[in-house]
Amino acid sequence: MDLAFTPEEQQFRTKIRAWVAENLPPQIAHKVHNALHLSRDDMQRWAKILGKNGWLGHGWPKEFGGPGWNSVQKHLFEEECALAGAPRVVPFGPVMVAPVIMAFGSAEQQARFLPGIASGEVWWSQGYSEPGSGSDLASLKTKAERRGDKYIVNGQKTWTTLGQYGEWIFCLVRTSNEGKPQTGISFLLIDMQSPGVTVRPIVLLDGSVEVNEVFFDNVEVPANNLIGEENKGWTYAKHLLSHERTNIADVNRAKRELERLKRIAKAEGVYDDVRFRDEIAKLEVDVVALEMMVLRVLAAEKSGKQSLDIAGLLKIRGSEIQQRYSELMMLAAGPYALPLIHEAMEAGWQGDVVGALHCAPLASTYFNLRKTTIYGGSNEVQRNIVSQVVLG
Amino acid sequence: MDFDFSDEQDQLRDAVRKWVDKAYSFDRRRAIASDGGFSIEAYRELAELGLCGLYVPEAMGGLGMGPVEGMVVMEEMGRGIVLEPLTQAMIAGAVLSNYAPEPLAAQWGPKIAGGERLVALAYLERAARYRLDTCATEAQQQDGGWVLTGSKSLVANGDTCDAFLVSATLDGKVAMFLVERGATGVGTRGYGTLDGARAAELHLDKAAAQLISRDGLNALEHAVDVGIACSCAEAIGVMEKTLALTVDYMNTRKQFGVVISSFQALRHRVADMKMQLELARSMSYYASLKLNAPAPERRAAMARAKYQSGQSMRFVGQQAIQLHGGIGVTDEYAVSHYFKKLTQLELTWGDSLHQLGEVSSRMQDTAGVFA
Repeated sequence: MDLAFTPEEQQFRTKIRAWVAENLPPQIAHKVHNALHLSRDDMQRWAKILGKNGWLGHGWPKEFGGPGWNSVQKHLFEEECALAGAPRVVPFGPVMVAPVIMAFGSAEQQARFLPGIASGEVWWSQGYSEPGSGSDLASLKTKAERRGDKYIVNGQKTWTTLGQYGEWIFCLVRTSNEGKPQTGISFLLIDMQSPGVTVRPIVLLDGSVEVNEVFFDNVEVPANNLIGEENKGWTYAKHLLSHERTNIADVNRAKRELERLKRIAKAEGVYDDVRFRDEIAKLEVDVVALEMMVLRVLAAEKSGKQSLDIAGLLKIRGSEIQQRYSELMMLAAGPYALPLIHEAMEAGWQGDVVGALHCAPLASTYFNLRKTTIYGGSNEVQRNIVSQVVLG
Repeated sequence: MDFDFSDEQDQLRDAVRKWVDKAYSFDRRRAIASDGGFSIEAYRELAELGLCGLYVPEAMGGLGMGPVEGMVVMEEMGRGIVLEPLTQAMIAGAVLSNYAPEPLAAQWGPKIAGGERLVALAYLERAARYRLDTCATEAQQQDGGWVLTGSKSLVANGDTCDAFLVSATLDGKVAMFLVERGATGVGTRGYGTLDGARAAELHLDKAAAQLISRDGLNALEHAVDVGIACSCAEAIGVMEKTLALTVDYMNTRKQFGVVISSFQALRHRVADMKMQLELARSMSYYASLKLNAPAPERRAAMARAKYQSGQSMRFVGQQAIQLHGGIGVTDEYAVSHYFKKLTQLELTWGDSLHQLGEVSSRMQDTAGVFA
């Protein structure tokens, strides 16, 4: 047992840190450090910078043009990016659909789709949830009927994150009603420019638009956009979910946000109030414990000597911590979290502030992060899974 | 970064687990508890396994092992809620080998390792609670030696041990001494503690003492940190067994015609217990892996670890009782004894509120496993 990273890993970290310092645009880091609004251009600009260096798909193996890093190297890379204030990589292309295309796509599909994902040129979206299918995803109804060399897709997806920017969408669609719900699902890649695709933004409680409804009305999709075999999509989707389990805990971002919480608490004069400070101290222990748990999973993946049954816990804990720091930031600002001034959440805004500039986005972030215990398998579904492991 | 155990560590765990399973049955434990809370025979059996000398250097007849081995052993002690105070042997081994003059260490080290002598840390005082720098017990020079006057509380096995490591104020600073129980001016008043083990109040009236170190606060902090790391590890064993007992019970007990493990409200409670256990295990690793770090880093890590451990123990213990229902609060059934051990451990070496204060007062701008 050893807590320290190896000298090679420390050198690796130093190299990444220097590269990020050199290449991360300061305007973008400023926005991230202050929770200001990130535009599509901001997100794609950073994606392309990473892509140019072969690091947008930083989890990819070498054979597909990735760096071939192990679990610890990936973690160090993500940590350096997060602490420096890099935006979180929009995961749908490089983190979610790419591994499925690599594992189950044809050589032709790999050649057609992976380069655009690796470079950050093509914006991907995820088409999983439907109005009637949330936690019970396998009940999905969006239908794809085979007609010659095409599928005709009809139905509706929802909660499609950043789908307003999406150029391609990977969808779970129903191709059969026979057998168990899981066995009639296929994994289909759809060009969002196709006739019959409509994206409608969903306005969220803070007035922001982050998620969308996507409608499919007799959309023609070439049959060679089907990944793998028909009716095997559920298996492929599960492969996707098993990927990047430590990623969803987002502990690196939690460390960065804990720093921001302390800055805000100091500025608002509550850091020296024992009642408030102790709440930060609790969160600090929570963050360290989560980081240790993440490191245990990473080390186990790297050594391959022990199988840990704790990955499901990471999502629950990570999401709770995200909600908690956003809550404490809002409470630190107190009444100054109340004004909802959208312009004040844009970088470079010159208007009159209420309280302080850092107060403007706090409630909005608090509202936004309610999603974390709901998405990616709600925390209650995660508890079902954990209890299944423990109780049988 | 590596959290795998070596083959030797696995063998050590197996040996200790075998002893707990074969030699330290629940019935034997119950008999020891009702017979005063300490068995010298059981303690000697631990010594025969080499465990009393885990932190005693090899040159003094110990195993000279490190914190990870200590953690492995204490997890197994926890699984069997062993009453005999192995933690005290670890503390004595660490303090004497790191802070005592060589002759004193050489005199006591082999006897501690062999289980012939039990040395207990005496540091708690009524007015100090968990604070280590507050010490009313005083040291004075007399006839070329040292004598101590004052009172200490909750000394583990205080009326059955052979000597004490005692903190006392000397020239306005905390110093550390060794006092033999048989010395003139030493009085003890023993009692049972809520985990079934034994402690005592210690009264010193110009009791003869040997100086371990004038740098007593550092020695004391180190001693307590060994105690915290041991406690965090022991807690893992206790919680694992507590959870296992609960799972067995839930998969057996029927109500409304079905096993109670089929109820989602209860299943989620078990998921939350597993969460607390794994958070505590992660922080127990953290504590043991930081035990040899420079003092400020070590102290900060122990406060974080013990806070997590305390929170986890209280949750796991309380939920285990609740999920058992009435049988959980009986003396007959094992889970109540595990619950009491968890309660004892939370209140030992600084409870959760105390540790939260320690974390809070040490906070820096950044935080993480490596900061």
